Amino acid sequence: MARRIPRVGIGGPVGSGKTRLIEQIVPVLSKQGYRCCIISNDVVSKEDAERMQRVLATEAKLMPEDMIIGIATGGCPHTAVREDPSINLAVIDEIEQKDPTLDLIIIESGGDNTMTTFSPALADYFIYIVDVAGGDKYPRKRGLGIESCDLLVINKIDLAPLVGANLAVMKRDAALVRPGKPVEFVNCRTGEGVDRVARHIIRGILFDRPVQRKRKG
Amino acid sequence: MSDYEFHLMQLADSFFPSGMFGLSGGLESFVKSGRVKSGNDVLRFIRQQIKFQLVPCDCTVLSAVMHSAKKDDVAGAVEADNRCYSMKLVREVRTASARSGRQLLNCLVNMTNDRFAKKFYAKVEAKESAGTYPACLAVATSALCIPQKSALRMMLYSYCASIVGSAVRLGLITHIEGQSILTQLARDVNSAKPAKNINELWQLTPLAEILQMQHEQDDLRMFIT
Repeated sequence: MARRIPRVGIGGPVGSGKTRLIEQIVPVLSKQGYRCCIISNDVVSKEDAERMQRVLATEAKLMPEDMIIGIATGGCPHTAVREDPSINLAVIDEIEQKDPTLDLIIIESGGDNTMTTFSPALADYFIYIVDVAGGDKYPRKRGLGIESCDLLVINKIDLAPLVGANLAVMKRDAALVRPGKPVEFVNCRTGEGVDRVARHIIRGILFDRPVQRKRKG
Repeated sequence: MSDYEFHLMQLADSFFPSGMFGLSGGLESFVKSGRVKSGNDVLRFIRQQIKFQLVPCDCTVLSAVMHSAKKDDVAGAVEADNRCYSMKLVREVRTASARSGRQLLNCLVNMTNDRFAKKFYAKVEAKESAGTYPACLAVATSALCIPQKSALRMMLYSYCASIVGSAVRLGLITHIEGQSILTQLARDVNSAKPAKNINELWQLTPLAEILQMQHEQDDLRMFIT
C-alpha cells in the first residue's frame, strides 16, 4: 500500500478566494521545499483547475501540470467532499501510487454555503475561507464550516472600508464562535497574511517536518 | 426482512458512497446537443441505454462475476472485469467506472470479512483487474448474499435513479416528473435478461459514445460523464 500523503481541505463560498489562496500558498510552501498536488472540485467548469495549471505549473513551474487535477461535482460540492468523497479518494489513491514522495495534497471544494465540511476520511486539516464583501456578519452567523474548521481565513481585508465591514467585529465574533481556534486576516490579491496561513499548514498538518530532499520542478 | 433485503437497500441507497452523484451517464452531453429536451426524451434515453449498453454489457458482467464468486473463481472474475473495462470506449467513462468500483470494494472490505472480496480487491490493488463498477458490485452483492436477480435489478434501478436525478439537477424535469419516469421504467428493469455467457458481451451506443467523447473536452459541465 502506498504512503498516505497529508491532506488539507479548503472550502468556502463562491468567490471567497479559495483558488487564489492556493495560488498564494503553494509558492510559499514550495520555497520551503514542500511539494504539493492540488485537486480542484468545481461545480460547472474546469476553470479553476486550468487557471492553477497556468499560474502554478506553466508560468511559475512549481509543479507539473498533471499534479493539478479538476473534478466535476455533479452540482453537489459538499457531497463530493463529505457524504460521498469516493471520487476524490479514488483520485488520491492514484496520486499516492504515482508519487508517494509528495508532501501535501490540497483539496479545493467547489463554492458552497457555510455548512460545508470535509469528511475526515478525505482531509486531515480543514481551512474555511470567507471574504469581507459578504458582510462582517459572517463569523457571527456561524455554520458548520466556520465553526468546525481548523483555521478560519478572512480574505479581501482591503475591501473592508469600502463595504462597511468591521474587521474588529469579525475577529471578536470569530473568537466567540470558535473558542481557542485560529483566524487569519489576509489579502490574497497582494499576498498579505498568506505566509501565516502557510505556517498553520506546516505546523498543523506537516508537523514542522523538515524537507529532506531538493525540490523537484 | 432478511439480511440480504437490508443490504439490497443499503447498496441501492443514494447515501451509499459510490460516486454516482457526479455522473450523468451521458445525459448532460445529450442535453447540450439538443437531443434530449423533455421528460419523454429522458425516458427514451434511459430505455435505450438499458437495452443497448447496460443489459448486454454491464449486467452480463455482473452475472458472470457473481457466478465466478460462487465458484471462488478469482481468475474468472478478473477476466470478466477486464473485458468490461475494454468495452468502455470513452476514457472518462472507463475511469469513472474503475474509480467507483474501487471505492465500492474498499468500502465493502471494511464492512465485511468476505474472503473472495479480499482476494478480488487484492487483484484490483495490484492492477491485475480493472475494478469496474459492475464487477465490483457483483463481488459486493455476492459477499452480502444478495441473489443475482435482485442484484441485477438493483444495479439497473440505481442507474435509472442516478440519470433521473441528473435530469432534475440539469433543470430538465421536476422532481415529480422524475418519479413518474422512474415508475415507467419498472418493467424495463424487471424484465432485463443479460447474456448467460461472458463471450456474448456486447453493446451498441455509438452516438452516446461520440457525444461523451466531446463532453470530455467541454469547458463548462456539471457532471464527470
